[in-house]
Amino acid sequence: MIYNIVFVILFILGLYTVLVKKSMIKMVIGLNIMESAIFFWVISLSNTGNLIPILQTYMEEKAVNDPVPQALILTGIVIGASTTAFLLTLIIELKKLGGSINLDHIKGLSE
Amino acid sequence: MRKFIVMFLLVFLGIFLYFNLSYLPAEKMISNNVSQHYINSGVKETGSFNLVTAILFDYRAFDSLGESTIIFAAVSGIVLILSRKTLPVSSHGLTFIVKRTLGLLTPFIFLFSIYLMTHGHLSPGGGFQGGVILATISIIFCIVYGSEFDQKKFSPQTKTKLETGGALLFILMGILGVIFENGFLDNLNLFNGEPGSLISAGNIPVINLGIGLKVGAGLAIIFYSMIQKTFGEETDH
Repeated sequence: MIYNIVFVILFILGLYTVLVKKSMIKMVIGLNIMESAIFFWVISLSNTGNLIPILQTYMEEKAVNDPVPQALILTGIVIGASTTAFLLTLIIELKKLGGSINLDHIKGLSE
Repeated sequence: MRKFIVMFLLVFLGIFLYFNLSYLPAEKMISNNVSQHYINSGVKETGSFNLVTAILFDYRAFDSLGESTIIFAAVSGIVLILSRKTLPVSSHGLTFIVKRTLGLLTPFIFLFSIYLMTHGHLSPGGGFQGGVILATISIIFCIVYGSEFDQKKFSPQTKTKLETGGALLFILMGILGVIFENGFLDNLNLFNGEPGSLISAGNIPVINLGIGLKVGAGLAIIFYSMIQKTFGEETDH
């Protein structure tokens, strides 16, 4: 319930940043906020109020949270970091070629 | 004006998103058979107390191999775009106090990253997290002591060797699984101690170490490429 509300707020904020802001760096920040919202939401699905899925001993009753979404999100975080680094590299090149990272002032893009 | 239209539409999108999400059966996720199998017999089959690590590096190790390939692709693309013939211009670094303090702290940062990598099957952490902390050492050298110091300590050739070495260690473990066990990346029975001790869980700690070296060197290469360009541009003006 509360997880869904927080997910929707974060996702909408990220989407608003991507759609409205003119600076490329702010767009990357918005994409990262959307990404984090999805990670947060999938992790919240695995939360059933039990222990974390890291056992201390051989336990008799295995009342732990679902480990599968957590493994999936670990993959997602790594891929998100890679794509963010690549996007920032492309922005560095754009600054060099177009003279600006603002969408209104890039040479050769407007008009 | 455009801002307000976008805001209006996004508020509607958010309301629809919320009502659709509230129909999802969140509590029933745990009752599917795959998760139940991993929880019930994960420790028996893999020897790893950390069930997330057991899934990442034993049941779904092939997916982790593809994931590390994605990091390799990102590093290759970044180096290809930002490559430059000239040597990086060294910054002067920070003040004496920062240099001495980080000189004392850096061995402990290294120790912490090695701890996270080798205890991935026992406690929270693993190869990816340890590798990111390993990359911070190179970043600290670059910022605090100047990029020339970093180049002297870890040259780009060393970083490339570490990255390919980590990837090859991963693939070697997979091929050993073909030779000694049932298939590619199957868990080996070589280091099977008591579950819960450091040397246990087959080849999971070895794969963690390889992934850690690969991720750490890859992130260090990304940072090195970016800082190289930035310092070069500063001298042009």
